Amino acid sequence: MITYILRRLNLLLLTLLILALASYWLVHAFPGDPVANLSGVSFITAEQKAYLDQYYHTDKSFLNQFIRYLELLWLGDWGKSFVSGQPLVDEIATFLPASIELGTYALILSLLFGIPLGFWAGIKHGKVSDYSILSFSLLGYSVPVFWLALLLILFFSLQLGWLPISGRISLLYDIPQETGFIVYDILASNIENKYEALVNAASHMLLPTISISIVTSTIIMKMTRHSVIEVLSSDYIRAAYAKGLTSRQVLLKHGLRNALLPIVPQVAMQFTTLLTNAMIVETIFSWPGVGNWLIQAIYQEDYPAIRAGMLAVSVLVVVFTVFIDLTHKVFDPKRMHHRRVKN
Amino acid sequence: MLKTSLYQEEAPPSPLQQTWLEFSKSHAAFFGLLCMCFFVLVISFGPLITPYSPLEQNTDALLVPPAWTASGGIDYMLGTDALGRDIMSRVVYGTRVTLGISLFLVIVSMIIGILIGAFAGMMRGLQSSILNHLLDSLMAIPTLLIAIIIVAILGPGLINSMWAITLALVPQFIHYTRDAVRSELRKPYAVAAKLDGASKAHMFRSTIFPNIIEMLVVRGTQALSTAILDISALGFLNLGVQAPGTELGAMLSEGLDISYIAPWSIAAPGGAIFLMILSINLVGDGLRSALHNRFLH
Repeated sequence: MITYILRRLNLLLLTLLILALASYWLVHAFPGDPVANLSGVSFITAEQKAYLDQYYHTDKSFLNQFIRYLELLWLGDWGKSFVSGQPLVDEIATFLPASIELGTYALILSLLFGIPLGFWAGIKHGKVSDYSILSFSLLGYSVPVFWLALLLILFFSLQLGWLPISGRISLLYDIPQETGFIVYDILASNIENKYEALVNAASHMLLPTISISIVTSTIIMKMTRHSVIEVLSSDYIRAAYAKGLTSRQVLLKHGLRNALLPIVPQVAMQFTTLLTNAMIVETIFSWPGVGNWLIQAIYQEDYPAIRAGMLAVSVLVVVFTVFIDLTHKVFDPKRMHHRRVKN
Repeated sequence: MLKTSLYQEEAPPSPLQQTWLEFSKSHAAFFGLLCMCFFVLVISFGPLITPYSPLEQNTDALLVPPAWTASGGIDYMLGTDALGRDIMSRVVYGTRVTLGISLFLVIVSMIIGILIGAFAGMMRGLQSSILNHLLDSLMAIPTLLIAIIIVAILGPGLINSMWAITLALVPQFIHYTRDAVRSELRKPYAVAAKLDGASKAHMFRSTIFPNIIEMLVVRGTQALSTAILDISALGFLNLGVQAPGTELGAMLSEGLDISYIAPWSIAAPGGAIFLMILSINLVGDGLRSALHNRFLH
């Protein structure tokens, strides 16, 4: 177990190092002066150049430069944006929480819908309700997320006028930013009409969350259904029935746990897909998240921002993946045993 | 009853025939296949059936609604957009670009992926272990995210987005091929071929490849729907096909500004993407369960 954890962490470190190396390579690969791409200062005078060369060690060997780059990454000096002139770490700290927040709510919503429906379909395998849930899930994961978001806007915002089209909260509310998670920030702030602000934030959040979670919940539904069918046809379920348990007891005591455990990591892995979908949906709803920010940076050829955004998003995804893998191993050692036998 | 065949034994259907028999049992999969055939016909003969050029602007007919509404006309079946371009023609040409490019990309990345995957699968030791771990971490990242990052590096444009999607799809095929080769190598028939003294290249070509190709085709259909989604998403984000080009995702983002007065301008291209992906998913699922059932019998 310990060797396994160490191996995974080792691999994680290696992957992070490769990502950092890739992002450092980008500094040189993007058009323009590498020092400008590193620092985010577009017009550099001769004396500034000398100072920056010394600061980034760009006058020294490549290895030396890279080590300095890693050091600065660690210290939080990621350079500045060409466009806004703000430090990139601050910008990412503002935008990334908004994306994570959106993704988390969407994941929760899709779990709430996906797992029970998938379970129901699995129990009723081969019956009408199974087929209708299955066809719904097929429709759901075939629909392009950006089209779905547009249709939702068209219907709920423009046709019915129930929900706002864009943004995160009405501009009337001045929420001081602390963590970047809007719900937490509202609760932590000391504005007068907290309740109204919360309702307003929720109404802004509803459409983006729904459009992302429809796709994910259908995938979760499919996985749950598959797992339930597999478990219900296994021998120990038959043994439980033979023991005289009612189907309710069999399902709750033997079916539920064994069907859900293997899909936990798969479900958690959906978070990365969800984050990608969130990045697209953000641009539609003008949600101030990292996806919207990164895509704006691509339009404006803001190279330091592209480099930093790419690094932040990929590090988030990789760390998350390894974390899920490790927690799953801790809770389900059986799978690890399997793997050992297989190799 | 008189049998026309003199011999008693029936010819067992070939594996391909068995798959077809199983496949055509499922109505949904069959419907998906018909839909897919329709789209293939559209991309092959599209220019023959479109009434207008996709770029032809008619200033006398701006924002004409579809034919079945009161103010629509039969001249423009699905209506026109803000520049007076016929939406039906644009959707047909857009389908050509989106589906055509996706098909091309999937075939290219399948060939590259299978070649590398075959080497990785037949190879043992340190190199394959490093490849293994790198691929595992790459597989965890959604292809669209990889594609967006690659486009961010290369810059927007159709060719760059094609590179991006290919680079994002290849690792998947390497992974699947390598896993399949590994599991086939362990089976007795592969061991038998090895004991006969078959070289590695020969073994892959005539023993393993015929047994994994069907599984890879199923993976290919999944990759096709991913590629369509990715290329239209990049087009939608203005990172793929640029402005005058007809691509379904780019059309959607153009229609965004007029979606309130002309909802048909986003309904038609989006619907086309949806139907395409749906039919491909239906065929993919049908093929997979057909293969599964065939092995059960």
